[in-house]
Amino acid sequence: MEVFINEEANATVARLVGRLDTAVSQDVSSALQPLMDAASGTVILDCSQMSYISSSGLRIFLGIRKEAAAKGGRVIVRNLPDTIRQVFMMTGFLNLFEIQ
Amino acid sequence: MKRRKLKDNLAERRSARTAFWVVIVAAVTLEATSLIQTYYAQKNIKEQAGLRAQTQLEYTRLNILDIIDQAESAVRNSIWIAQWCLQFQDSLSRVTYRVVNDNPVVMGSTVALMPGFSKRYPLFAPYTCRVGDSLALRSLATEEYDYPSQEWFTEPVKQDAGYWSEPYIDTGGGDVLMTTYSVPIKDRQDRTAAVLTADIALDWLIDMIGDIKIYPHATTVMISRSGQFMMSRDREMMRSTLIDIVNSMRDHRDFQKLDHAMKAGQTGSTTIKYDGDEYHVFYAPIVKTGWAMCIIVPSEDIYGSIRRMGLWVLLFQVLGLALLILILNTYFKNQKKFNALNEKKERLQGELRIASNIQMSMVPKTFPPFPDRHDLDLSASIVPAKEVGGDLYDFYIRDERLFFCIGDVSGKGVPASLVMAITRTLFRNVSSLQNSPMKIVTAMNDSMSEMNESNMFVTFFCGVLDLHNGKMHYCNAGHNAPLILTDDIQFLPVEPNLPLGIMKGMPFVEQEVQLNYDDAIFLYTDGLTEAENINHELFGEERMKEVLHERRSAQGHMEAVQAAVSEFVGDAPQSDDLTMLFLHYIRPGEEGSSERHLTLHNDINQIPQLATLIESIAREKQLDQALAMSLNLALEEAVTNVILYAYPPKIDGTVDIDATIRKDSLQFVITDKGSPFDPTVVPEADTTLGVEDRPIGGLGIYLVRKLMDSVEYEYTDGKNILTLTKKL
Repeated sequence: MEVFINEEANATVARLVGRLDTAVSQDVSSALQPLMDAASGTVILDCSQMSYISSSGLRIFLGIRKEAAAKGGRVIVRNLPDTIRQVFMMTGFLNLFEIQ
Repeated sequence: MKRRKLKDNLAERRSARTAFWVVIVAAVTLEATSLIQTYYAQKNIKEQAGLRAQTQLEYTRLNILDIIDQAESAVRNSIWIAQWCLQFQDSLSRVTYRVVNDNPVVMGSTVALMPGFSKRYPLFAPYTCRVGDSLALRSLATEEYDYPSQEWFTEPVKQDAGYWSEPYIDTGGGDVLMTTYSVPIKDRQDRTAAVLTADIALDWLIDMIGDIKIYPHATTVMISRSGQFMMSRDREMMRSTLIDIVNSMRDHRDFQKLDHAMKAGQTGSTTIKYDGDEYHVFYAPIVKTGWAMCIIVPSEDIYGSIRRMGLWVLLFQVLGLALLILILNTYFKNQKKFNALNEKKERLQGELRIASNIQMSMVPKTFPPFPDRHDLDLSASIVPAKEVGGDLYDFYIRDERLFFCIGDVSGKGVPASLVMAITRTLFRNVSSLQNSPMKIVTAMNDSMSEMNESNMFVTFFCGVLDLHNGKMHYCNAGHNAPLILTDDIQFLPVEPNLPLGIMKGMPFVEQEVQLNYDDAIFLYTDGLTEAENINHELFGEERMKEVLHERRSAQGHMEAVQAAVSEFVGDAPQSDDLTMLFLHYIRPGEEGSSERHLTLHNDINQIPQLATLIESIAREKQLDQALAMSLNLALEEAVTNVILYAYPPKIDGTVDIDATIRKDSLQFVITDKGSPFDPTVVPEADTTLGVEDRPIGGLGIYLVRKLMDSVEYEYTDGKNILTLTKKL
């Protein structure tokens, strides 16, 4: 999995490309540290090129969301592919995030 | 009942109609044949008769012509002498003498001068005739006779040619029928001077034609130019009847035609009817004398034999037809009886068929019986010797146990079938509460012994196979030992015990055998081993084993054994019910499926190998992306769990993943030797909680349960075995 982070107007955007499984979760978690730091503002996770997510991946998403909640920021999940939206729905994550 | 009567009537009327037509057709055929035969026979006989008559006529005609020629020659040869003697009238008597004397056929002769030719004798006619053996000389120139007015004199003069007179009865020479041939004699000035004659008696002719008897009642007559019959006076009396007939025929139209034809000198034949009778007339002319000869034959003479034959044929035809009617009548009467009997038999057979259907519906008949199961291949068959039989088999699965049985009721037919029905019902009832075959058999025996008044018993074998582990418990009640097929084929060791229904409270021994994957059990009744061929040889256990030696499906074994028995038995009738049951315990997923195996170490970096496995399965089964991802996710969560928690940190451990790909399902068996952990008992994660309350973990196992159709956990031999199943 590759992670690209960009600073956009009023938001930090992370673009996740590829499979987010348990094996890569540690690395992805580190790569997304800038988002944790920016959690007081608006954080955007662009999932358009994500092909897979496991529970460890979900855990990362949840970690960012909790951080934002603590700091009073916003987390927006953008461009969810159907397969991953399915997992979000099954786990109740659709209710935890702002989905765009 | 009413309807049946109606049906009977219809059938009867139909038979009567058939009989009627058979008789009609037979009669018409017979009649037509005999008509054709009669027609051709008649034609042939007519031709034969014509030929006979014509031959006879020709023969007679030639005879007559011979005589006539002799007479004509006698006269002609004397013409020159007569001419020469015209000057010496007294010598003319010498001429007549010579004619008579030299020609035996000539009875008399004269040279009659034309009146006024001789100055001396105005009328002169010396006449020589035979009297007895000698000759007499007379003169015809008498007042009474007046020869110049006689036909024999006037006609040749008139015609200036030889002339044959009408036959006449000669009163002078003994009442004989005669005819005269006369020729004119010319003098030197070529004037007719006299007439030279020769008389011929026709008695020989009368005799000759009287002798013609081509048929018993045939009559031959000679008719003169003027239509007179030629016959002597004495015969006239005898033939008066014929004369009457023929005389009255003269007026007949047909006869006139005939007369005309004969006078015209024609040869032929015709048919005339007179007074209800039919006559055939064959005729031929004698042109010189102007006579006609005809043979009259009554039709009866010609066709009589054919008519008589026809009568006989008709008689036999009538008799034959009467006999035919009698036979048909008897046949249809018997047919009616036979039909009634048949109907009764059919009704009985129909009932037996229904009974057979009921009986057959009591045993499971759909094969394969458990299409969803991949650990069992089972088939069974039952072939009753009669419509209904006393054999039974049964099987069903309850609580992952296969309950099965086979039995053979003593006796055959309907009584045995009733006991069979009871036995099967008892088996189902008792086994629904009991897992032990011994207890099932004991309960059945007690129950059957209590009500067994007809003293019928049942040899019975009951087995219970635990499909989880292949352990088979069984109990035998006097039945043939089943075969167990492992690497080779052997009889299953069985306690004989007593058959069911003999005595209440009998003890039965339960036995046990461990079936390994690929082992099979074959149950049968003695209808198989004791199947007899026409030489009274038995099919036997060796042949049975031999057939089963080859590897086949359960259904294949059923068919192969059946075929082997049929071939062995040949045309011999089946002596006993033949029942078989074959069960094959197979490794789950062995048939029609494929497998994948993967061993991982407890290293999280090996997780992507799972994605590779799923991708290959998805390709094989052409799964869509969403499903592939679900499977990947569930497998990853389950395996991650093991990798992360099963073994103590820093200790190397493995996790085995066995994937079984079936037609309609996928199964993943995840095995590890780590600390026991049953993920199925982990409480369900609450997915409704808000962000703050949501625990960071616990989603993995939740996802596994959510994504798979079944998750089963087992801890055996120090192994955690987690089985995930997904239906497709």
